[in-house]
Amino acid sequence: MSASSQLAAPPRLRHRHRKSGLFAVLAAGSLGVGVLVVVLLIFATMRESGALSSMHATATAGLALSQRAATNGTESTPYVSIAQVTPTSPAETLGLAQGDALLAIGGNIVRDVREVWATVAALPANKSTATIAWVPNLEALLGELELVPVAEQAGTFRVRLAYVGTETVAAKQGLRDGDVLLSANGLALHGSQQTWQAMVTAARTNNAPLAVVLERDGKRKELPFRVQREGELPLDRNLIAALWRFVTSLDEPRYPEHAGLASAILGSLLVVLVTILFSFPLGIAAAVYLEEYAKRTRITSVLQVLIANLAGIPSVVYGIIGLEIIDRTLGLGRSILTGGITLGLLILPVMILGCREALRTVPPWVRQAAFAVGATPSQVVWYQVLPYALPGMLTTMILAVSRAIGEAAPLIMLGAFLFVTYLPNGLMDTFTVVPIQIFTWATRPQAGYETIAAVAIVVLLVILLVLNGTAIVLRNRYQLRW
Amino acid sequence: MQATLTVLPRTPSLAAPRHRRLFEAAVRYTLLGCGLIAVLVAGLTAWTFFAGSLPFFEKVSLGEFLGSIRWAPITVPEGYGTLALIADTAVITGISLLVAVPLGVLAAVFLSEYCSPRLRSFLKPVLEILGGIPTVVYGFFALRTVTPWLQEMFPSIGFWNGLSAGIVMGFMILPLVASLSEDVLYAVPRSLREAAYALGATRGEVILRVVLPAAMSGIGAAFILALSRAIGETMIVALAAGRTPAWPPDPTQPMMTLTTTIVNIATGDHEATAFIWAALFAIGALLFVVTLSLNIASHFIVKRFRELYE
Repeated sequence: MSASSQLAAPPRLRHRHRKSGLFAVLAAGSLGVGVLVVVLLIFATMRESGALSSMHATATAGLALSQRAATNGTESTPYVSIAQVTPTSPAETLGLAQGDALLAIGGNIVRDVREVWATVAALPANKSTATIAWVPNLEALLGELELVPVAEQAGTFRVRLAYVGTETVAAKQGLRDGDVLLSANGLALHGSQQTWQAMVTAARTNNAPLAVVLERDGKRKELPFRVQREGELPLDRNLIAALWRFVTSLDEPRYPEHAGLASAILGSLLVVLVTILFSFPLGIAAAVYLEEYAKRTRITSVLQVLIANLAGIPSVVYGIIGLEIIDRTLGLGRSILTGGITLGLLILPVMILGCREALRTVPPWVRQAAFAVGATPSQVVWYQVLPYALPGMLTTMILAVSRAIGEAAPLIMLGAFLFVTYLPNGLMDTFTVVPIQIFTWATRPQAGYETIAAVAIVVLLVILLVLNGTAIVLRNRYQLRW
Repeated sequence: MQATLTVLPRTPSLAAPRHRRLFEAAVRYTLLGCGLIAVLVAGLTAWTFFAGSLPFFEKVSLGEFLGSIRWAPITVPEGYGTLALIADTAVITGISLLVAVPLGVLAAVFLSEYCSPRLRSFLKPVLEILGGIPTVVYGFFALRTVTPWLQEMFPSIGFWNGLSAGIVMGFMILPLVASLSEDVLYAVPRSLREAAYALGATRGEVILRVVLPAAMSGIGAAFILALSRAIGETMIVALAAGRTPAWPPDPTQPMMTLTTTIVNIATGDHEATAFIWAALFAIGALLFVVTLSLNIASHFIVKRFRELYE
């Protein structure tokens, strides 16, 4: 056997090295998965928030949309109903009115509200208007209808035009009072809402006039009847404008495209302000006492363990304390003040722990030197220890504030409210905060609320990223090495 | 002979002037007061739960509270058994730990054993920022992204389910597990590693057979903290897990945890004097006691670990 073959790793060792390499890959992969999955989820949320500019476009055009279904026997066809038209908006100028059915945008048929926003988003970027097709509401289309019972069959009705007037679509296309409508494009008509819905369903499938069969003066007659109307609607899809309108308008319980985050943002600001005023002085003072003044006794060490572990109590439990002690016992009600103090209690242990940690990084000889030249304890703390500990304390404060901003559970306990459609007007007002607004929107069933919840999440994450990033930079830059 | 009286010059007092001593005392006692407020809060918390849940346990026995599966506080006859809620909490917690602990510990191994210092100083803040994402955001992820994914794979999964909430909660706790375990691994003394290398162990063997066993108690402490965090997590389960207690616990169906129950009671429309508020305190007390004891246990395990190696 030659010397070189003896030096090469024996198969057993190679196997061990391979196993070692596999383990390294596994470890790196775990970290990668942990980070990537969350980043992926954030991206999914950002994608979901993309519909905001289309929602802004339909909202600023003056529309509030809602999802309806046209039922015909057992069949149910969804359609987009115009639930509200803002006065003096482009939509009103165009002739759209409450109750109209939106059929198509830019030639694409829309069946539900989500599809409307997807279609608007897919319009060419340079276009600021879109051709929309719609069916006017029942009154504007047919005037007044009355139901006539069919003599032979009890419980079945026929539809008769009772008052067509002069302005309705029907009147303009030659229908008269007293005409009995039998079918439209082959769909039998037997109820007033049903007639209109059948026409909407039929009109959606093609753009041609409907073939309406009617009975006039005892004779059957077929008449072409064009129910669709078309027009150019200006659509403003500016994302910046959309975001600005979103953060400055109030919540809207029915139409997500009109809802905004203003009251939640103001609520969050005020609550966090109270939290800061409550917990910062207390936390810093308690930390200074424990670290600089208190003797190391059994009591202080028990205290230390207690405070360290209060930081890990579930936040919802703090909500119960807020509800019982601050709201009921102290009588502060379910106000911003109560919310702020509750969150203050929640971050107090974190503050104390972090500030103690920061104080501990100041080496003892700084204090000894100050004492040696005759400084009193308070002077040592104020002029020597605190300035050195300040960057560490600032980091703690920023992290604590960002925790308070994102916290929802304790405030839900206080009933931080689900429908707040006003701006809080003082510290004793009821309120909502951004995380709770996200929670509420995420639980509302109407289409579109999940989009604005996603937008609110993106806003919240950006704020927190800036705060936490600042804290980390502060810590890395000003961390003193002794 | 005349006695001479020599008047010595008065030596300056070394004691601080009176107003200064008063000021020092004032500062000291003010700070003490602030510290005491923190203690007072802890005491009040414990007292609130004790006093608040007393009327509950006068009417409902501890055995029924913990042993019955029937949670029906607003129907007649009422049922105040939390066993189903506890089981649901345990299942969701278990799922989240199955995700968080293996991934978190392995991530910690990578950070402390393999990673270059440069990469480490980049990755640690990233983990920290991920750990700072509000839980309601994770709840939204679970409800809007993960549940639809799961439904694509297994069509029988409900719109609300414990599985999605558990998985997402696992990723939420992962940064916590990773950073706690990393601290512990980092604290394992160099001499142990070097001794193993000297005996011819590969890098993987050093980690698996020396570093990890040495750090086991500390990792155990991280596990316990993660457990306590998962038990107390509220917003993810309130959004994604539903509000119906499941018995037997089935993670593909809606589940209701202890924390969701608290939220349910608090957001429900109940009279201020209703007995259901007492149930709220009883469940709150249960959570408080369980999580506080888990945290304290973890605290002492870490302390012993540190004493072992420092």
